[in-house]
Amino acid sequence: MVESNQHDIVIIGGGGAGLRAAIAAAEMDPRLDIAIVSKVYPMRSHTVSAEGGAAAVIKENDSVEDHITDTVSGSDWLADQDAVEAFVREAPHEMVQLEHWGCPWSRQPDGRIAVRPFGGMTIERTWFAADKTGFHMLHTLFQTSLKYPTIKRYDEWFATKLLVENGRCQGLTAIEMRTGHVHLIAARAVILSTGGAGRVFPFTTNGAIKTGDGMAMAYRAGVPLKDMEFVQYHPTGLPGSGILITEGARGEGGILVNKDGYRYLQDYGLGPPDPWPRLRAMEMGPRDKVSQAFVKEVQKGRTIKGPYGDVVHLDIRHLGEKKINTHLPFLRELARRYAGIDPVHEPVPVRPVVHYMMGGVHTDLHGATPLPGLYAAGEVACVSINGANRLGSNSLPELLVFGARAGKGAAAFALAHSKVDRAGLAAQGRDEQERIATDFIRKEGGAERIATVRAEMTQTIEAGAGIYRDEASLRETCDRLARLRERFSHIHLDDRSLSFNTELTSALELDFMLDVAEAIAHSALARTESRGSHQRTDHPTRDDERFLRHTMAYRTGGAPRIDYLDVVITRWPPAARVYGR
Amino acid sequence: MPEATFHVFRGDATGGNLVSYTVPLTEGMVVLDAIHYIQAHLDSTLACRWNCKAAKCGSCSAEVNGRPRLMCKARVDEFKNAPITVRPMKAFPVIKDLVTDVSWNYRVNKQVPPFTPRPDDPGPWTMYSEDVERIFEFRKCIECFLCQDVCHVLREHGGFDRYMGPRFMVRIAALEMHPKDTLSRTDLLKERGGIGFCNITKCCEEVCPEHIHITDNAIIPLKERMADDYFDPWRSILRIFGRKKEPRGT
Repeated sequence: MVESNQHDIVIIGGGGAGLRAAIAAAEMDPRLDIAIVSKVYPMRSHTVSAEGGAAAVIKENDSVEDHITDTVSGSDWLADQDAVEAFVREAPHEMVQLEHWGCPWSRQPDGRIAVRPFGGMTIERTWFAADKTGFHMLHTLFQTSLKYPTIKRYDEWFATKLLVENGRCQGLTAIEMRTGHVHLIAARAVILSTGGAGRVFPFTTNGAIKTGDGMAMAYRAGVPLKDMEFVQYHPTGLPGSGILITEGARGEGGILVNKDGYRYLQDYGLGPPDPWPRLRAMEMGPRDKVSQAFVKEVQKGRTIKGPYGDVVHLDIRHLGEKKINTHLPFLRELARRYAGIDPVHEPVPVRPVVHYMMGGVHTDLHGATPLPGLYAAGEVACVSINGANRLGSNSLPELLVFGARAGKGAAAFALAHSKVDRAGLAAQGRDEQERIATDFIRKEGGAERIATVRAEMTQTIEAGAGIYRDEASLRETCDRLARLRERFSHIHLDDRSLSFNTELTSALELDFMLDVAEAIAHSALARTESRGSHQRTDHPTRDDERFLRHTMAYRTGGAPRIDYLDVVITRWPPAARVYGR
Repeated sequence: MPEATFHVFRGDATGGNLVSYTVPLTEGMVVLDAIHYIQAHLDSTLACRWNCKAAKCGSCSAEVNGRPRLMCKARVDEFKNAPITVRPMKAFPVIKDLVTDVSWNYRVNKQVPPFTPRPDDPGPWTMYSEDVERIFEFRKCIECFLCQDVCHVLREHGGFDRYMGPRFMVRIAALEMHPKDTLSRTDLLKERGGIGFCNITKCCEEVCPEHIHITDNAIIPLKERMADDYFDPWRSILRIFGRKKEPRGT
């Protein structure tokens, strides 16, 4: 028998966006009964990993206009300009609000908030809390959420499916991991805040939980995934582990050099190299261009061969031990522990690493998806403010601004829709319980292993839909993903137990990732232009005539149906992206 | 290829035993990599928690050769060629294999009054670096609960109803020492917090993966505050009239 619970609003995902949404909804109306369903405990969510900072206009020498133009040009004009404007205007308020909830922003000597430079920004506007900004934000949001007795948590509950009845999203099913029981959780409104899907790729900064669950659940519920072909590679990951070396290292004056000690970025439209450091140039260029330059260097044979493939060197030795210890202590610790390198004395080997999904569940400015009752915020969503390339330090304020907006939107929806269709939901809950039992726990036969299918999926998508793509590589990837989907139906689990069956949750995550991978590959195949992080060697230029539009991928029985939606252009007409000067 | 033997606890709340696995070694390998190798190639029924693999999320706490460690931070080569034993945290009830029930910590957390600034203090605030950096140390805590696991008040004496444990002393220190917080939590420290049970053996400091000086910088100053409020005659009178914080040196 399926056990059931009911709440006014259920939020799937307990990271930064989910907590901000919960607080916004609770503040809007204290009568609302809110629940957060998370597959991990608080403070395990991936927001903890964000290091460098959060951008918001606060200084006298900065302006809303500048933050908007940086974000729009950074996005290669694929961001919706009304969304960017709302984001930039609301971000400072959100950041000050966080300080009042206890977040310790780093200070300048006069006691006011300090800001640091970040890639693609014309001015220093990135707030930070040492080099653990996301960590401190998540901690603050979690502790603040405890002040509201109306927010209940379901920790270590694994969401498996969104339930749609009468054209409205009215809840979900989830596995209580401790007991293995499948529960129905009915809701008047549901918010997705499950984060990204970096684990679809073999080499990523993303934690193990970033398997695109929310994207796949929305996709299966008929909601389009938007701009999925835009995947951000962060230029500086540690080879092997994929651990992120913060962009802050380059902001402080760190340089990238090839095997000849040459600052190669000057060959790719980001120079001249001096004076250094300076904004919107060289190592402080946008992430898409810096990562693409790496691939070109590999092709020229100018990278360094290491045990985990080609690398370049991030050199911060000239900053000196004192500055490294005070400004980049976490970087030094990571490099020493995981690469055996002390950056005070040696350059750090780095290579591009999958970091962020610009694309995601299609939402409007209020976090609403096309499915009534379903909202999304944070990396899982695509509003879009990031377009074809996100600027570093825009994702943390994004999860605050749009988390709050989604929370308010869902609260208004829940207040206006009191009825849930219990009978229909109960029937769906039973079906889902049956599916999990027959397809996984009780399934006989099948010889495919999770680890094998997962490894082939990650290699396939990296090989065919990596930093540079073309029609042949993408067709091959689409075909191979279809075959992997077929093989997944023959998956075999050894673990037949109910309590904490991590083999079962791994299988469900792989199931989600196969859907996300399919949307990425097909969206990339259909976009026959190059823009931002989507670089087609067979279509090397931007084509505003045909593609100043968002890709919308809809799930079908076979290959996804690809449609398009015009980008919202208000005051900033498309122009060339110029960096370096 | 070199190999190592891992003895891993398999079982649940009703009991269990160590099972041996032989795992090939790779350069820079950590204990969590070995657990993943076992799951992928030798026994997919083995359960553990993990996420970031970079010592930030606090998920993969366990006891490696008897010492509370993050598995993602414990390099295999530091054990030379000796066999490696991996057990779940002892202080908390086992759910399955390396997964323990740490929910007690989250229930305790709710008993700590939250950050409370003055309601009429608009921002952005001016705060000095030294003040902010002091609380960074306490706020660095990743809630891996290794300090709770090693604390003898909890581990040996089962004092879960008497002492909140080092983690929550650090949490209270972060609040008490925030320059904009207005609440006093010394009543909590003396009563439910049970700070008097800590006799400063510093075991918690030794296992902290974030190198927080739990006893020196959090527990000892908090003990001093509690002693001031209760046993200094003038302050104990003040305490009766209100919960307002007094300016302090610590």
